[in-house]
Amino acid sequence: MTHNSASIELKGVDKEYRRDEFTIPVLVNLDLAVAEGEFLALMGPSGSGKTTLLNLIAGLDRATRGEVNVHGQDLGRLSDALITRWRADNVGFIFQTYNLIPVLTAFENVELPLLLTHLSKRARRENVATALRIVGLAGREHHYPRQLSGGQEQRVAIARAIVTDPYLLVADEPTGDLDRATAGEILELLEQLNREFQKTIVMVTHDPLAAQRASRILHLDKGQLVGDVTQEGRISAAS
Amino acid sequence: MKYLNYIWRNARRNPVRSLLTIASTSVCLFLMMILLSFFAINDEVTGSVGVYNRVCVLNANGFAGRIPIAFMNEIAQIDGVQAATPFSWFGGKYHDEILPFAQFAVDADTAFTIMNELTIAPDQLKAFQTNKNGCVIGRKLANERKLKIGDPMPLERDLYPVDLDLTIQGIYDGPANRDLRMCLFHWGYLDELLKRVGATGSASEAHLSGNAGMVFIKCKSANIMPAICKAVDDRFRNSDYPTRTQTEEAFGKMFAEMLGDLKGMIRVIGMAVVFSLLCVAGNSMAMSMRERTTEVAVLKAIGFGKRLVLTLVLTEAVLVATIGGAIGSLGCKALCEVVDLSRYSAGFLPFYYIPWPIALEGLAVALLIGFVSGLFPALRAANSSVVDGLRKVI
Repeated sequence: MTHNSASIELKGVDKEYRRDEFTIPVLVNLDLAVAEGEFLALMGPSGSGKTTLLNLIAGLDRATRGEVNVHGQDLGRLSDALITRWRADNVGFIFQTYNLIPVLTAFENVELPLLLTHLSKRARRENVATALRIVGLAGREHHYPRQLSGGQEQRVAIARAIVTDPYLLVADEPTGDLDRATAGEILELLEQLNREFQKTIVMVTHDPLAAQRASRILHLDKGQLVGDVTQEGRISAAS
Repeated sequence: MKYLNYIWRNARRNPVRSLLTIASTSVCLFLMMILLSFFAINDEVTGSVGVYNRVCVLNANGFAGRIPIAFMNEIAQIDGVQAATPFSWFGGKYHDEILPFAQFAVDADTAFTIMNELTIAPDQLKAFQTNKNGCVIGRKLANERKLKIGDPMPLERDLYPVDLDLTIQGIYDGPANRDLRMCLFHWGYLDELLKRVGATGSASEAHLSGNAGMVFIKCKSANIMPAICKAVDDRFRNSDYPTRTQTEEAFGKMFAEMLGDLKGMIRVIGMAVVFSLLCVAGNSMAMSMRERTTEVAVLKAIGFGKRLVLTLVLTEAVLVATIGGAIGSLGCKALCEVVDLSRYSAGFLPFYYIPWPIALEGLAVALLIGFVSGLFPALRAANSSVVDGLRKVI
């Protein structure tokens, strides 16, 4: 796999939450660079800021201070409407509990992000079929989420995440609700998307085995990077 | 259009809740349609009689008073009067049915000249005029009760202390907005029976004969109607029975006003119903959206903008309310086309239907309920934080 220059870049990022009169720092002066096509795993104890970091990278939340650049776009400069549009074009989301719409079939769930595009119905149908084929669910288009196993639901969620061919996939504990074997299959699928389709993937996980599938593992604690492990086992000090 | 499937599926997500919301909307609107149409039709009937150039003479004390029949001859002499008839409400029972249909004692010779929008075959009219105990009935009454010429029409005492032994001599017809369920019989026949009772009965019964409930006048033209009203009232102003004469249209309005400000009361009740519907629909929608907090967050995460989320939620609320409104208002209209509710109004309404403006008003109210009930949950969903919505997930 060829890694290009940093396409996700965080400089001096602070993130604080206000709860009543208290200000809670979650990320503190964080710098990070992720190359294009990288498969990054974020690890750390609960409350360490993994999800917050993921939210910032995915454009779901804004930094209190500092700069978040993704794919050449300074997210801090985008309005709410523009950042929503940016997410639709550039980011695919994979959640721990799949978050499929229960009243829609697998096909309709995958089609949802395409409704925001100007694609014709036929083009949408073709894209959905391709996405479902990639995740190995061809033939299950008309099944509702309740008619699918957990692993199949997650595959539908992954199909929904990739159907618009986004640049970046963010996954929060994508195997957290799955058994070991199914989790392995999902991680293989993510690896395949990274390897064959050059998707940049940022994954939050508690599972060391899952993290080992990534090309790079970052450890966070108390809002700061405390470890950076590459696929080859190199450890560098977090900046 | 491409979002309609999503909206429709969400509206059906919790079928019981949606059905209950639809049912509450439709039942309330159904009842409102019935009540509002009652007044609309009454207004329509009242407004439609203006073309017949008729005036009504009542005792100045209203329905409680009587008009001596001797006044009839004097009224007939007034310049511009084409014809006059006593018009006395009998209100008898028919086979133990109380107020089954309107029954009036009239002058058989002039009644159909005065109510010339009603049509009757000449031979039937002749038979009616020549048979003292004959009567004519409206086509709807004949059809509904399968009555025909020659059938007996016994009317038992209720307001008056006499029983009428009538025979149907004719069946009249007329425009759809006229009462085609009346039974008209000879005032003279009623008076004759009342005289007999008066001769042997109490003092109060002795005064029942020789009077009419009111006098109905046909004028030669519309422009002399005010003058005739004034002439009649002036003539009897200093008598023991002063009169109150007014056009048939004004009489109809007065009759409606006798119900008090029922119309205003119904409007207030209607507003209360709309408010309660708003609460029901709003609560239903709010519950639905609360259950979908994470889903909304997911939609927004994958790129659904605030405006789109707002539109989707609002459309869903409007859709549910519109279904309820359509069943309530248009369903009520359709039902009234099939079932003639006027037969249960004892002649107060000659016909019954839901006018289109009322039905559309009901539908508009449903749309409004949907919009307003969905607005708060929609705004909340549109402005909700994606991060908070996904908190348990991402």
